[in-house]
Amino acid sequence: MTAEQQIDNYLTALRTHLASLTIAQREEIVREIHAHIRDSAEQTGASVETVLARLGPAEELAAQYRDGLLIRQASHSNSPIVLLRATLRLATKGVFGILVFFLGLFGYMIGCGLFLTAVIKAIFPANAGMWFKNGYFLFWGASNVPPGPPAYEVLGWWCIPLALFTGSLILVFTTAAIRAFLRVSQSWQSKL
Amino acid sequence: MAIQRALPAEGDQPDRWEAQLRKGAVEMAALASLWQGRLYGLEIIRFLESQSQLALAEGTIYPILNRLKAEGLLTSEWVEAEAGHPRKYYSLTDAGRQRLRQMAEAWTGFSAGLSRLLEPVLHPTDKDLSAGTPVVQKKEFFP
Repeated sequence: MTAEQQIDNYLTALRTHLASLTIAQREEIVREIHAHIRDSAEQTGASVETVLARLGPAEELAAQYRDGLLIRQASHSNSPIVLLRATLRLATKGVFGILVFFLGLFGYMIGCGLFLTAVIKAIFPANAGMWFKNGYFLFWGASNVPPGPPAYEVLGWWCIPLALFTGSLILVFTTAAIRAFLRVSQSWQSKL
Repeated sequence: MAIQRALPAEGDQPDRWEAQLRKGAVEMAALASLWQGRLYGLEIIRFLESQSQLALAEGTIYPILNRLKAEGLLTSEWVEAEAGHPRKYYSLTDAGRQRLRQMAEAWTGFSAGLSRLLEPVLHPTDKDLSAGTPVVQKKEFFP
């Protein structure tokens, strides 16, 4: 295997393991590491093999980049998938991360459930709503077997705007809470 | 004797502690290397090797530079070099300078305090040795 081939293989492996980053970020990293390999080999006269060994396995290098960037990116993102993935990565590092992951999951489920309730109310009005029984709150949502008397439905058509509003509120709040958590954990990590 | 036998079993722990300490310091050291002006990655590695005992796997420094840049403490630019390929030069932003100054102050205070604390451990005086510990030591080493 020639030196050029070794370099190509290393950079290809690096690209593969950086697949979760944007193309621009990935190519910038690959370009910099490529320049490092050439400079290091030329300036020290070391073989490409030695230079690559000093850099460490491409997989590990990529993992260090991902750890730094994923969490940082996620703390500016609104996508539930990106946010949950970042908390999941932190969850491997502590109990608090696991807690935030499940609370986040819970928040997204409740939020989406309320949206679903609004949709079902529009199609099957009898199966969705907010029920009370003996003056106490029973449940808010949709069911294929709606509760019969003495439970009673209180919202009527108001269920739709109210479910949409509360659902969005919960989704926004969940997103903000996860982002705040990621930002805090970032500043923990960057401290000594 | 007991102490000596216990040591090898826990021998890997001081290494791990030192590795963590090193990792935390690298971020500050990387910022400090750019205090005088812009450098590219390999120059930063050389600088750290020559100025401090921060010998590190070369791979560690690049992800750290990347993160410091994402945090707005560094900027970078590609500069065409005589080597035939461009190099990515890093320099401190104003926020980076300010952060480094804060880090340097915190670090200096912290390390001065710890050095005072550790002084007797590294350079025990006669007074320390006569303060009650020698009896125990004799029992340990000459049973």
